[in-house]
Amino acid sequence: MAELVLPDSRRCNYFFLYDGSKVRGESDQTREGICYFYPEETPLDRQELLCGQLAGAGRCVSELSSSPVRILNLHRNKFAIRMEDDFFWALGCSVEVPTVSVCELLDQLINLFCFYNGSVRHSYQLNSQETLASRWAQYLSHLESGSSELQHIFSCLKTIDSTNVDPLLLLKAALILQACQRCPLVLAGCILFRGRVVSTQMSPQLTMKAMVHESETYTKPQRPNGQSSSFGSAVSSTTVFLTPSELQYLQSTPVDKDFSSHSTPHKNTPLKKNRLSRTLSDTPSSTESEPSDPGSSQSPQKLLSPHLSESSVYSSDPSQSTPNPPPPQPLEPPLSNGKQSPEEESLEESYYHSFHSNGEGGSQIDNGGDSSAFGENSHLNGGGVDGACGEEFNFRVAEESHDNKVSEEVSGRGCGRVQGHEVERPDPPRSDVFEHPGESPLIPMTLYLHRVKGLVLALLVEPHFLSDKASMEEVYHSSLASLNGLEAHLRSVSPGVPGAPGPYIFAHFDCIQSTLTSNLSGRPGGAPERPFVRATSLLHSHFCNTETLQEAIIRSAGAAVYGTRSVAQETYFQQHGGSLRNSGIPNHQDSAFSLPGKARHRLLKHGVNLL
Amino acid sequence: MKCLLISSQSAEVLFHWTDPEFYQNVQAQYGASQEDGHGLPAFEDSISTLFAPIIISCITMVDRLGDSYTSFTTENNHIYVLHQFDECLYIAVNGDGEEGEGDLRRKIYVMKKMIEVMFGMVTLSSDLLRRELRPQDTEQRARLWEHLQSLLETYSHLRENDQSFLVEAVERLIHPTLCEQCIEFLERRLVQQLNSSVERAGEEVLHAFILVHTKLLAFYSSRNASTLSTSDLLALIIMSQNMYPSNTDQDDPNPEDIESTSGSGPESFYTPEPSPTDMDSRSSDMPVRESTPLFEFVDPDVQMAEDSLHTLEVPPPDPSTPRRVFLEVSLKDGLFPMMPHSMYCLPLWPGITLVLLTKIPTSAVAMSVYTFLEAFAKLEKRLNEGQEGSAATRGQPTIHDIRSKLDKFIKALGASEIKSAQLQNVWTDFKNRIGRGGPGFNRELIRSCKNMKTQLCGVYRQCFLIESGTADSPRRLSPCLQERAQTMVQDKLMDWKDFLLVKSKRNITMVSYPFSK
Repeated sequence: MAELVLPDSRRCNYFFLYDGSKVRGESDQTREGICYFYPEETPLDRQELLCGQLAGAGRCVSELSSSPVRILNLHRNKFAIRMEDDFFWALGCSVEVPTVSVCELLDQLINLFCFYNGSVRHSYQLNSQETLASRWAQYLSHLESGSSELQHIFSCLKTIDSTNVDPLLLLKAALILQACQRCPLVLAGCILFRGRVVSTQMSPQLTMKAMVHESETYTKPQRPNGQSSSFGSAVSSTTVFLTPSELQYLQSTPVDKDFSSHSTPHKNTPLKKNRLSRTLSDTPSSTESEPSDPGSSQSPQKLLSPHLSESSVYSSDPSQSTPNPPPPQPLEPPLSNGKQSPEEESLEESYYHSFHSNGEGGSQIDNGGDSSAFGENSHLNGGGVDGACGEEFNFRVAEESHDNKVSEEVSGRGCGRVQGHEVERPDPPRSDVFEHPGESPLIPMTLYLHRVKGLVLALLVEPHFLSDKASMEEVYHSSLASLNGLEAHLRSVSPGVPGAPGPYIFAHFDCIQSTLTSNLSGRPGGAPERPFVRATSLLHSHFCNTETLQEAIIRSAGAAVYGTRSVAQETYFQQHGGSLRNSGIPNHQDSAFSLPGKARHRLLKHGVNLL
Repeated sequence: MKCLLISSQSAEVLFHWTDPEFYQNVQAQYGASQEDGHGLPAFEDSISTLFAPIIISCITMVDRLGDSYTSFTTENNHIYVLHQFDECLYIAVNGDGEEGEGDLRRKIYVMKKMIEVMFGMVTLSSDLLRRELRPQDTEQRARLWEHLQSLLETYSHLRENDQSFLVEAVERLIHPTLCEQCIEFLERRLVQQLNSSVERAGEEVLHAFILVHTKLLAFYSSRNASTLSTSDLLALIIMSQNMYPSNTDQDDPNPEDIESTSGSGPESFYTPEPSPTDMDSRSSDMPVRESTPLFEFVDPDVQMAEDSLHTLEVPPPDPSTPRRVFLEVSLKDGLFPMMPHSMYCLPLWPGITLVLLTKIPTSAVAMSVYTFLEAFAKLEKRLNEGQEGSAATRGQPTIHDIRSKLDKFIKALGASEIKSAQLQNVWTDFKNRIGRGGPGFNRELIRSCKNMKTQLCGVYRQCFLIESGTADSPRRLSPCLQERAQTMVQDKLMDWKDFLLVKSKRNITMVSYPFSK
């Protein structure tokens, strides 16, 4: 039997979900267990063959090894497998796709499903198979669509081309998000423009999930089951489900809602968590002493500069992030499990109102000098714990030594927090690979979307946000003007000149932000770029499989590609026009050996620092 | 946690090897499922039951999808590598992280190579090979599997400890003067003397080489011999290491151990099992004794006494009996894979071995069989590609070319003691069929081709795998002659042996790049 001929554009050849619990007895037919099969036009007997055989052999192997199968290779296809309480997922790609990318794609797909539908078992009890089939198809096509092969290899976020965008616009986007977070019901958010990330406060994985709904509403703005509000079609919302670790991560990095963590003197703790986003008012280094000295000579405009020089952690501009800041450290708050003490709540209330009273909802920069908000600013500042920059911290310690007012305020609780903070430093949830959303209880949340033409503000909010009219209006009105402004600016940005193909190609992947920078043209099937993409794919696989590998040169008769990686990034570089006579016996004059030097030199101007 | 399994298409276990951890894992899984008090089933049954779904699924995938599994990886990083050679499915498993997918694939290839060296062209007929690898007689099967298991363990040991097996290349011991002297000695003295002796019983020494551990000190091939391929040589080194393991890991080996190792038969390295009755694990009502070690190598002598009725075909554990090996030969009329040779492995001192490879008198038969097999295989291929019978028979080499040769060959066989009536019948049937035509002709001719191949492999098996010659005049270099050869080389190298043993231990690359385990 001949293999189905599949067009090259598709990364995924097969995807299916098979429910083993439906096929238990002798008389049960395999087809009863097939929940979803892609491509849907596959003849049923072939669907049964693949589901039955793969699930059967997979179960047999996992019984022998007492561990679920993760990867299953055939001669012509490779499958990433996920086995979870009778469910069997398989996603098949051609053998050239790096194994790690196939596994990532499958995890993304399942996590997406759980994000919008909750647990898989539960969804299949509530909904018809057809409904859910269309969801799987939708998520699959979302993950498949519009990305280059290079982006597929890294499973990275699609971001706007920051080289053409004024950095102030990125800052503006970050500030809009920051402003929305003033509402205690807003957990975090992101701003997207034409399906690409402008700014985000969420982890790359979560951002990726939120983007699906955006792209869906982008194509069909009137989604029947999406809730429409009094704000008209511009605003919509949908229920989503977060894993406990995702929620914990979001709650552990509040900007303003939490007072305690900073204000205790902790002079021996130079490194602390980063905030997800910052605004002027959160620059503690300079404003902390101000409550006792309102007439300080430091003007808000001056305060802006240190802020601008730092990149925000999830800035979509990779060039700003080199060298990368340490990844945000989620922490387990020993005292707060998502609920806040009444005292804290009242404090929040007060600053929320003060924020409210500013009314205009514009940028915080303007508000910085507003004396009516100033008193509250001391609280706001208090919430920010900053530690990305050692120098800054030292400066702050000096300030703190004579700043007793704030620390007294929350001393008792603060101590406990800080200790917990120091001891527990779990790894940031960089990958969802080992998360099993099907098993752990998922927490329902709401994804709120505010669309202004091509621009979308997506916020993760507490479910009762929708019923809290005041909060909703507040968030809506406070961001509307800024969103309109940002949209107008982004729309006017000319798409970057494609640029003549340079003497070299590079790809720079930021593992923390999950972003990719490359000078590779987006043209599909660019023949000269094939070797580079292939080499990158191979090297990426090697880097994933060999933890200790840091640098490698891979070459064919016609091309040599240099790859280097650190914890935070992977960079690939190819110089055109190298001598082709170098194949064969290694020669110390081989031009391939000069690649690392060339990469270091050339990539500096792209903001990639390999030193 | 390691395992290697060979299975037939019908999920019959043709060979298995497991390390103790894997063995216990399998037993534990069966211990849990067998709660009715019947005790544990025989290990072979357990492993066959556990792997059967994978094997059957693999075959189904090939049949219905034209694609099949090559590997599985589990979340706890157990790796399963699958490879199909004709109708034999090889599965290699690792669950301790010591071997990667590539290592397991290498292991499968090496196992395949060892089986080819041991069974020659019988491997070309799946049906015969299946019977060869899984003899009906359980004792015989146990002995064969133990031998294959120990070869596999020797290979794994060498791969871990010897750079030449890591990179699969033969390593030489460099000492130009001594090497030259030895080669000259092998040529002028040893081989000449052996080949001119009447006690050689028609055998002719083609290659002679001296191994110091796994390294080659001197290699001499006679002028009319073809070159020995590297893969064959490596396989032979594994076999000689399996017979006379050199404990290179031990810095100071116990001299008494060495005495006993070098003196007696091939399997004596392993602790003899005092009571061989437990080996009959087929009796299912008798639980396997818990304390039984996993891999016991039964003392062949004890075994012989009790099972003399069943073991007529098994070569007696006489150290002077050569091993039959099948090696590639390239002559001016072409390349002949798997030609029969006899291998004499003569230990000089612990760690130093003289290996003689001889051409056996009847080896011309193997060449004819190979020519015929090749012709039928090509015809079958053309028929499978859909060519018409008449057109297909016209290819190179044509059936008409070999027709008279095959007639003559069968006639000659008839005169010998080899049973060839079956071959005669099938050949007559084939000749009748090929003249005809009509619907279903191709399909029937393909079946006829397959039949001819099986019969030819059967003749080959009779000629070269079953011990030939009568008991009182075995066809081999006489023990006396072997002993003389041994003494000659011992005398020659007496002054050098300590130097050589020390020199060969210097495993430079492995020392420079030690494995981190």
